[in-house]
Amino acid sequence: MGLGQRREAATHWQRACHECDLLLTGPLAPRGRKLVCPRCEAILHRNPRRSLHYTAALSLTGLLLFIPAASLPLLSFSIFAFGADNTLFNGVQSLFAEGYYWMSTLVLFCSVVAPLGKFLLLCFICWGSASALLDRPVATAVRWYQHLKEWGMLDVYMLGILVALVKMSDLGKMEMGPGLYCFAAMMLVANLTTLSFDPESVWARMAARRRTGGEGVA
Amino acid sequence: MSRPQKALERGLSSCLCCHKLVVLPAGGGRARCPRCGARVHGRIDGSLMLTWALTITGALLLLPANILPIMTVIYLGSGEPSTIISGVMQLYHAGLWGIALIVFVASIAVPVMKLVGLVLLLVQVQVRPPRFPLQAMKLYRVVSGIGRWSLLDLFMISILVALVDMGAIASVTAGPGSTAFATVVVVTMLAARSFDPRLVWDACDARESGRRGRESNNPKDRGAAGNV
Repeated sequence: MGLGQRREAATHWQRACHECDLLLTGPLAPRGRKLVCPRCEAILHRNPRRSLHYTAALSLTGLLLFIPAASLPLLSFSIFAFGADNTLFNGVQSLFAEGYYWMSTLVLFCSVVAPLGKFLLLCFICWGSASALLDRPVATAVRWYQHLKEWGMLDVYMLGILVALVKMSDLGKMEMGPGLYCFAAMMLVANLTTLSFDPESVWARMAARRRTGGEGVA
Repeated sequence: MSRPQKALERGLSSCLCCHKLVVLPAGGGRARCPRCGARVHGRIDGSLMLTWALTITGALLLLPANILPIMTVIYLGSGEPSTIISGVMQLYHAGLWGIALIVFVASIAVPVMKLVGLVLLLVQVQVRPPRFPLQAMKLYRVVSGIGRWSLLDLFMISILVALVDMGAIASVTAGPGSTAFATVVVVTMLAARSFDPRLVWDACDARESGRRGRESNNPKDRGAAGNV
């Protein structure tokens, strides 16, 4: 099959299922609905309303919530007169100090770097996709976001906090710190951001600008 | 019913990053997605080999992860190292069976189920095409979705190590098993990512067309002629 023929096929077919390679003629889901592969039932596309607006707002909220969530203590523990606090960073620090470099790197990556990176990338994608100068960096950012997506584990960390809370409660006095509420809110916002972000709307925005921009130049 | 149209047979492939349909070069090499710049292949390069390698690595590392202690809780000068299983048992004996169940699922059931699931998928692709590919796909989605929850134990250890640090009165230290366990989780997550589910359907289609060819002696790729 020649390249020309392939190009022709690419205009007829709009999308291939990424899990079973089935060719489809309809590329996008209608607004507020999702597109499911008829053969393997994979979710091909989710089309949330006002994706970019919601994502921009939510990721900015997430970034702001990150500041108190990382700086205030999440839990505090006390036995007799001795007490200690736990923040997002000092667990990593004490693991590092004990010599568990690989583990502390992993915990740092999954609980701080990846979620923070996701928020930053989404902020950049949502604001940056408005200007034509940033087309390539935004495309790269979307790619990075897809790679980083599953490594942000705020929800798992939250469950870890709860398990730690229950497990140690018979040993001493365990208290929730103010950071924990911010952390829980940040986790919620992170999950909502993941749900509301739809890369197709970024591509659609770029394509629309390219069309109108091209006409303007000509 | 007409045969489903596969992208690879038409020289097309979906970009795994942005899901754009990309025209593959005629020589069968790799292309770059014009939209997001990711590398596009018809199927993930060396998917089966990589998945096997990572799965076997994970299975081997599961031994030290379960045998070596993952943490030591010292309370009033006494305490002994606990492994993953003994940690669950302690929680159970303390009456916290709900938490014990969560920890058991996250750190024992999930890694084991994930490795078994990956092996099942690989065997289905290479040895025996699945009779119900939809079930294989469900298995794939479960395997790639649940992996991250196994990190629960590690997060808990990192919290406790910082929180309970009062010398002889009470202290928690991590153990060598936790490093092995962290590696198991990462390796199995990478294995699930490197597995290409489209291979399951390729195996099914190959069996289907083989059977059809035997039944009616039709040429194998009659369907590729262009019936929709």
